[in-house]
Amino acid sequence: MDITEEQTGGVAVLKPSGRIDSATAGEFEKRLVAAVGTGNRVVVDMAQLGYISSAGLRALLVAAKKARPAGGRIALAAMAPPIREVFDLSGFSSLFEIYPDGPAAVAALAA
Amino acid sequence: MGTRLEVVLDNDVAELERLAGAVDGFVADAGLPPEVAFKLNLCFDELITNTVTYGYPDGGRHAIRVRLEADGREIRAEVEDDAAAFDPFTEAPPPDLDSDVDTRPIGGLGVYLVQRSMDRATYRREGGRNLVHLALAVPP
Repeated sequence: MDITEEQTGGVAVLKPSGRIDSATAGEFEKRLVAAVGTGNRVVVDMAQLGYISSAGLRALLVAAKKARPAGGRIALAAMAPPIREVFDLSGFSSLFEIYPDGPAAVAALAA
Repeated sequence: MGTRLEVVLDNDVAELERLAGAVDGFVADAGLPPEVAFKLNLCFDELITNTVTYGYPDGGRHAIRVRLEADGREIRAEVEDDAAAFDPFTEAPPPDLDSDVDTRPIGGLGVYLVQRSMDRATYRREGGRNLVHLALAVPP
């Protein structure tokens, strides 16, 4: 897994690529929690992500729990169908704002 | 006619990426769609992560064997290890899928995802080993 990060219109966009499994989820969580910081708006653009396990869901939930009281937001974008299925099965689709692509997610958080 | 794969892993989650590469190759060779590889990788990842994390309280190096076979109707998998006896399908509590961000518990989803991703998932203890068997119908 690699993660690129950029700022656009006051929103941090994290783009993980490859696989988020139990070996790489710790790094993903660290980067995500750092990006959320003290209440930032963050988009996780999954266009280049091929795989996520429950360890990746755990990282997202940890970051979401930290973001909420600080007024931060996390939106997810561009999930491949099998990744979306993991979110649906685990009840995570109702925990996060999910957009079809990165620009739509950025526009929603920047509004 | 069938396709087979056997991979032996060390008890280390860093091995999951190598396993995923082998599973992807198996699925492609068997002419199965990529979403089958995703489901198999998810199940192996969740089961092996639990075994590696909780199954070897004394540490040390252990082998975990993954076997896969497919025919025209079904894909069958076996995960075999010598970790502490643990039946994931009866001993893991059901997850909370509904509460909000503040109250949703962290973790506890792995075994549930295995059960939902496969058509069959069974466990037995035999000769001091844990054996998990998985089966998935070949998608139409």
